[in-house]
Amino acid sequence: MMQWSSLVQKAQSFIDPANFNIPNLTSSADRNPSKASLFRQQFRLPDSQNPLQEITAELVLSLPHTLSSTSSSQSQNVDRSGNRYAGRLHLSERFICFSTQPTSFLPSATLSASTYWAGQTNGTGPSGNGFTIPLCSIRRVERLNSLSHVFSLALTTWNGALGKKQAPGFVPQRFTLELVGSRQACERFCDSLKKNLRESMREIEQLRSLVNDCYSEYLLSGAKSKSQAPDAPDSRPPPDAGLGMLFRYPGDARKLRDRSKMRLWGEYFRENGRNATLLRQPTFHKLIRVGLPNRLRGEIWEAASGSLYLRLRSPNLYTETLSKFEGQESLAIDEIEKDLNRSLPEYAGYQSEEGIGRLRRVLTAYSWTNAEIGYCQAMNIVVAALLIYMSEPQAFFLLSVLCDRLVPGYYSTTMYGTLLDQKVFESLVEKTMPVLWEHLGKSDVQLSVVSLPWFLSLYINSMPLVFAFRVLDVFFLEGPKVLFQVGLAILRINGEELLEVQDDGSFISVLKSYFSRLDESAHPRSENAKLRAITRFQELMVVAFKEFSQITHQTIIDQRDKHKDAVLDNIESFAKRTSIRNLGPDSKKLGMEDLGAVYDRYYEILYNYQQRQNLLEEEKRQQEKKRSERISVIGPSVDREVGRVGLGPSPTHMDYNAFREFLAATAKWAMADSPGPSRKESAAEPYTNSFRGFGRPSSVLNSRPAPANHEFMQRLFQKWAADPAEGLSLQDVVSGIARLKGPRDIMNNISYFFDLYDDSGSGKVDREGILRMSEALLFLSRRGFEGTITPSQSTDDLILGKNGLEEKVSTGERFLGSVSSFIRRCFEYADPTNKGMEEEKAAAETADKLGSFSIGDDEDDLIDVGDDDVKSGSSTPTPQITTPETSSAEPIDNAQRVRSTSESANPALDPNNPLHITLPTFRMVILADELLEQFFDAYFPQSFHLSAHGAAAIPLPSLSSNLTTFSNIGAAKPYAGAGASATVAGASGGIVPPNRGLRGVLDNIVSDGIRMAAEVKKRMDEAQRDLERNALNRDDDEEEDEEDDGPHATTPAMVGGISSWGAGAYGADPERRSVRDTDRDLLEGAEVVNIRGRDEPSSLLDDSDGQQSGERTDSNRDKVVSKVEFES
Amino acid sequence: MSEPTSVNTPKPSSSVKLVLLGEAAVGKSSLVLRFVNNDFQENKEPTIGAAFLTQKCSLPTRTIKFEIWDTAGQERFASLAPMYYRNAQAALVVYDVTKPSSLTKAKHWVAELQRQASPGIVIALVGNKLDLTNDGSGDIQTDAERESAEGDDVGNNQEEQEDSIPGDARKVSTREASTYAEEEGLLFFETSAKTGLNVVDVFTAIANAIPESSLKSGRGAGAGTGQTTLGGGRSTDDSRVNLGDRGAATAKEGCAC
Repeated sequence: MMQWSSLVQKAQSFIDPANFNIPNLTSSADRNPSKASLFRQQFRLPDSQNPLQEITAELVLSLPHTLSSTSSSQSQNVDRSGNRYAGRLHLSERFICFSTQPTSFLPSATLSASTYWAGQTNGTGPSGNGFTIPLCSIRRVERLNSLSHVFSLALTTWNGALGKKQAPGFVPQRFTLELVGSRQACERFCDSLKKNLRESMREIEQLRSLVNDCYSEYLLSGAKSKSQAPDAPDSRPPPDAGLGMLFRYPGDARKLRDRSKMRLWGEYFRENGRNATLLRQPTFHKLIRVGLPNRLRGEIWEAASGSLYLRLRSPNLYTETLSKFEGQESLAIDEIEKDLNRSLPEYAGYQSEEGIGRLRRVLTAYSWTNAEIGYCQAMNIVVAALLIYMSEPQAFFLLSVLCDRLVPGYYSTTMYGTLLDQKVFESLVEKTMPVLWEHLGKSDVQLSVVSLPWFLSLYINSMPLVFAFRVLDVFFLEGPKVLFQVGLAILRINGEELLEVQDDGSFISVLKSYFSRLDESAHPRSENAKLRAITRFQELMVVAFKEFSQITHQTIIDQRDKHKDAVLDNIESFAKRTSIRNLGPDSKKLGMEDLGAVYDRYYEILYNYQQRQNLLEEEKRQQEKKRSERISVIGPSVDREVGRVGLGPSPTHMDYNAFREFLAATAKWAMADSPGPSRKESAAEPYTNSFRGFGRPSSVLNSRPAPANHEFMQRLFQKWAADPAEGLSLQDVVSGIARLKGPRDIMNNISYFFDLYDDSGSGKVDREGILRMSEALLFLSRRGFEGTITPSQSTDDLILGKNGLEEKVSTGERFLGSVSSFIRRCFEYADPTNKGMEEEKAAAETADKLGSFSIGDDEDDLIDVGDDDVKSGSSTPTPQITTPETSSAEPIDNAQRVRSTSESANPALDPNNPLHITLPTFRMVILADELLEQFFDAYFPQSFHLSAHGAAAIPLPSLSSNLTTFSNIGAAKPYAGAGASATVAGASGGIVPPNRGLRGVLDNIVSDGIRMAAEVKKRMDEAQRDLERNALNRDDDEEEDEEDDGPHATTPAMVGGISSWGAGAYGADPERRSVRDTDRDLLEGAEVVNIRGRDEPSSLLDDSDGQQSGERTDSNRDKVVSKVEFES
Repeated sequence: MSEPTSVNTPKPSSSVKLVLLGEAAVGKSSLVLRFVNNDFQENKEPTIGAAFLTQKCSLPTRTIKFEIWDTAGQERFASLAPMYYRNAQAALVVYDVTKPSSLTKAKHWVAELQRQASPGIVIALVGNKLDLTNDGSGDIQTDAERESAEGDDVGNNQEEQEDSIPGDARKVSTREASTYAEEEGLLFFETSAKTGLNVVDVFTAIANAIPESSLKSGRGAGAGTGQTTLGGGRSTDDSRVNLGDRGAATAKEGCAC
């Protein structure tokens, strides 16, 4: 027991103590209230607190406190005569709490368990008798020598002892707790208490400064009376109790009986402690119901709402936030500035720079700490009201408690909390006042039109200020149900008049006149003077809290739960409509259906992606916590429902990885060929079930193919993003797609493609670019053409997919040929560039590239379609590499031969001959080839599937049995280790053919690692070469194939190979490694494959495999790539 | 409270629900205030949710009672808007002639209304704060009043300075807006809530544009029992019921509890 709690504490200290703005407490309360969150809500504790121990106990208070003796033996007797409260005692990391309300938190409190627990004030806040005391304010705990069956503790607190000077006759606050339970349970509680007390001790200084800011401390320290004598040496200014101290508090202090209220509170504080060490007895609740005195109002609000405890944990957060963001600008700040002059403008404080300045600072600081909310109109009014009674830091923390806990979602960007509570309110009206409800319906009066501002501005804007503050007094103690109770009471009191109302206008007018007469007598004609003295406001309070006492926190929670989905759906469909409508001119090129599909997919992926990121982070954090047994309780307070647009601040940009997923759901070519690295995130998958809101079963999401990662996709990302650093907005995506999928325009598509590769924007694409283009063409085409490209011979068969495999094969091969001739022609027609620089590199790279096109084709024996077939099928002109190559039996000789041949055969490969092509050239080259023309005319734009019948739904043409094998590899556990160790090798490996880049990353790493290792080893060991080659060739065959099905066989060979290779290659080529390292960082390690595409020439020499598989004849290349294409 | 309208008016009377939409601080509330009370306030509290006001508009043949829903302008309140434009027969989409982004937002609203609001809704596009431009400068009375209609637009200070070089804070040309209005079939006006220029005309034009057929006879007199002839400047008693306004009420706050 002790052990885990210490673990928990340690973990806790890792977490930012000021972590109070975890958004959406609602959902934790709405959907799945964990024990911890109920606990925190009940006692208004910061989110860092967790229930550690609980035990039944009796709180014994001596009465009156100040008279009790300090001697423990005597106090025993005195205690017996005091008030006794039976309840539950709870311990968290930093707090000890007691409440007479039913507060039993079962250890397994899930949804069902917690409804069992539902008492009248389920999670409402500290409405029972008891206390919430920070452990650091406890000075001493004594175990009383009591009767053997009673286990009692006497707690002495720092109450009143933290000031500079103690009042004469100071008696420390002391009370007794009698634990009820088995001796073991009591001991356990005490141990835990002891331990946490020790941990908390260092917070005493924070407590001291907190306490000294409290007006109660000032009030009771006697400083108040002393300060009237100006000479008093230690007179200090009273603590800041809001603008009211400078500009008068609203209302007539005498009429409000402020002085006598103050006196009552003073007495209460003396007997029951103040601020942090306040004990709640029945008088406390009564004193709050009659209204708080001006100068104590802010402090009691703070204590009742729990914002005091936030301030205790991070006393300097407010000032630090302000200074940290000083001078920075934001949208929220602009919006705040607009409203500063119009927040309670009739209050004198807000006609002065002082008041405006405070308001500005609090709103600004909050907008920085909670950027998701930022600033919402109505917050200005609420904060302006708070600042009349509180200092700036107090208002700041109270605002955050408001936004996070008391009225969650009210001020969010979608205001879903507001809308939800309106629905809840309407349903409560329907339930409690059916006649009125029916009448409103008949008269077509929309209730929320009237009531929304009540809730949003907490009645501050609807009632005269003095009364609004009275509502707030209760609201901060008892929680959001108060808003509903008051609202219902207003309607009930005005029920008769409202039943005569016929339209919105008169409805509003009835209520307005009611609000303006709240101070009048509720029974002006009564003969009973006492009755006459009751004001309408008092009547309102009575009706609210008596007649509607059945409206509990639980009622509200149940109702919110019930309406939540409908409200969110509404907001989402509204958001979707609006968003689609506002996408700009480009969006007009796409149909509504397509836009809707893009919208859904965009947000679906964005949210899903983010959620997974969050969960990963969460998991990481949990691992830090070492997964103690209590993990379910401490567990992720992460909002499981972030994945809804309606819940508010929507992420607006997707990064490259999310974009890959988007593409994968849009275009077949963007799917990885195997379960990719995203599977490592599979831990998060169970949670994707909670993703809702797009009307798709989550199974679709789970089964979504992993995205590929190809340079082409990066280029698209760069091209589409208005600001790549920021990511892609929906508008970017829509514009990007619209330009492609707009009116069918081949010229547009060609230049679009060209622009993608025109890195310098000069209208020229160099050798490197040409090669990349052709790489991309192959990448895009590797999954077939979906019937959009038809070689002229088979023009009759419009839909290729329905033709036999052979037909498809030939199209693919033809296309391959087209790409080869594309390269050839590009070089042929290219203009020379007069740059003498970096040619060596470019040339060598060219060679690489050329070689690489044909890589992966040494698995002749795996190909179903025979060699002859293929050769005859590829009637397209062979590119520069002219040596026919049919055998892979002698890879190295072969490769060297090819290489030399190719270099001499094509002057374009001459490193001293830099060149570039321009758009017109590019266009000409494309149009010169039938297949390429079709590619750009039809396939490329059409490969983006938008509406429901889109790519995501298209099953992969799983013609090949190899596919199954392939996915097996991804799932093969034993390979995880190998993959990891092979990463290094893979990352700096040699040449990789373009179709390599098309692969899923993981298996690529594995197989490449294997391949490299094996090859190096082979080179090192010439003697065994023949022997090994046979084995390895087979391995190669299997590994190089997209549908690699033979990794198991290679495992043994790999092990030795990797180590030797790793040492050699890294040592030999540090520069290359460094380049790659940076790249790898950029791409987070996973996207190794792509980088390997740009290997530098030197690697050629080291890496026989590159050569071996690199230089191929076209016929071979055709064969193999097409194989890949159709079988994966 | 609910006496039949016909008691006061011999002419047929009908009520028209009108909603104001537009970016924050373009002067929606000020336009309404000018129309309803012939008044102008520099610092109006931002509208929370929506404010409801009524004003009658006397046409030669009939009286139109406008039930005006003045909505909050901040972006996030947009999701509440459908609640207010539901069943609206007319809409005033307001932008600020000194702020191009507000016209973009106005266009969004127009599109939204055309798709989502009741069919046949009469939409008027209104460019406000004409007093900040040369066109409207003739109407400006004093320098002190030469603030933006809402008086809270930070950008206006700067523009005011530019005004001294017989400058023009106008950033949206009349032509651009009117062309757009024409394309979309909207009524179009440029107004100044501060000076009152064109304000009444907007409402009159809307009243005239509402097809007779879509008028229901006044459904209860509602709040505005006082009758104001158009542009007469007499404020209707109690016709201005601002949900977000506590002004009148706070005046009487000195009460016992």
